[in-house]
Amino acid sequence: MLKTLREILRTGNATAGYPFEPLERPTDARGKPEHDPVACIGCAACAVACPPNAIQMKIDVEAGTTTWSINYGRCVYCGRCEEICPLGAITLSKEFELAVMDKNDLEETSTYKLQACAECGRYYATAKEVDYATRLLSQNNGGLEAQQAADLTGYCPACKQKADAYRAKRRDETMRYRKPITSGGEPG
Amino acid sequence: MIIDHEVPENLQYQLEPKVLDEAVTNAKLALLNDIKRSIYLYRIDCGGCNGCEIEIFSTITPVFDAERFGILNTPSPRHADILVYTGAVTRTMRMPAIRAYEGAPDPKLVVAYGACGCTGGVFHDNYCVWGGADKLFPVDVYIPGCPPSPAQTVYGFAIALGLLGQKLHHTETMEEEGEQAPLRFADIPYKVRTAIEREARLMSGYRYGRDIADEFLEALEGEDADVYANISNLISQQTDPRRVEIYTDLRKRLQEMVVGPEQEQELLMRGLSKVVGAEGLGEQPTDEENPALSILQEASLGDALK
Repeated sequence: MLKTLREILRTGNATAGYPFEPLERPTDARGKPEHDPVACIGCAACAVACPPNAIQMKIDVEAGTTTWSINYGRCVYCGRCEEICPLGAITLSKEFELAVMDKNDLEETSTYKLQACAECGRYYATAKEVDYATRLLSQNNGGLEAQQAADLTGYCPACKQKADAYRAKRRDETMRYRKPITSGGEPG
Repeated sequence: MIIDHEVPENLQYQLEPKVLDEAVTNAKLALLNDIKRSIYLYRIDCGGCNGCEIEIFSTITPVFDAERFGILNTPSPRHADILVYTGAVTRTMRMPAIRAYEGAPDPKLVVAYGACGCTGGVFHDNYCVWGGADKLFPVDVYIPGCPPSPAQTVYGFAIALGLLGQKLHHTETMEEEGEQAPLRFADIPYKVRTAIEREARLMSGYRYGRDIADEFLEALEGEDADVYANISNLISQQTDPRRVEIYTDLRKRLQEMVVGPEQEQELLMRGLSKVVGAEGLGEQPTDEENPALSILQEASLGDALK
């Protein structure tokens, strides 16, 4: 009896204090995915990567918008969206208190405007994504190729193809016989 | 729709969720307002993977000990106050699920447990799945998670009993006029950045590779003009030999990408780019005076670099 009591005193209280005191979560604990709507460009990489389709994109052509949505009720907290996001706009936080009374509260949405092609007028990407790509390509260290690509971000892929074909047609004959550059290696 | 007339009507295929009548709703509110006894819980597995069951076991065992709040697992729905539905509700488990619901006395609380119980989870578009307990019953509390951790479960039960408030709310945001996504590491050439990110992810996986690449690029962008000194400083701060190895490898990749002014124009023509002018770099460290290498040798990992 005494031995048991001594053992109990020595071991102490194994029960976690939660919910009366905050729960200590380990580093890199995977909780609620926190979406930053300002940093997000609506590229839908997360929607493609999401295994249970908790993240979805819905395009509304009438309104010219696309809506990013996440359903925490379907999310399996795998972190694929965090891995894939090119801007780090979605990160798994340690927040775990997600139980709700109303199913509607499990959903979060962000709406982004779509960009119409300067040539044919069809929507082809979100305006923020086009703007981001343009700024990325116009960085002064991008080189000639990047600058050429930056000039064409306002066009949809089909019109870009057409523009490339015209450019190839107009290209100076001498360019074709230019001496190829051999020195130096491709980085990455 | 197939109707088998031998089976009682309330057990036939019907996806209209059960509607509570007013008396039951009032009784439920009265019970929640003035609950002075233990809450008995009955768990129904409607085609789950057992992950949720294991977490429910963790919840009722000593570490999280839901019994200290009087929440007790019961073997029969006849004694239950809370019905916990786990699993995506498969077609074959619909009838047992309804029988358990009918078997439990009113007023009762229904909890949709886990990603599958809430919406169907990864199985939401499966042919044999109804996709969530709310397709059959009026659900009081949704506990998401795959599986929900014991703490999440305790929180869910506390919500069900009205002890804690709900934290998550529906949000909708609209893109504002002129909103721009920030450019990450704008001072570092895009191709250098992607090469570093790729290498880091190759060395340590997607999740940690990103963290490592971010730390490395932050050091690269640091205030001090001497880029290599910043990186060596970063490497000497590391205690994990594997991290030292990865950062050393990244520095090697960076050194390979730095070119002199004579090659610069030629590379720019090919759409490639340099890191920074060679004059801004400071002296490139040789392997002999490399602090990272000495750390590696101490950790007897020197061979791994060769």
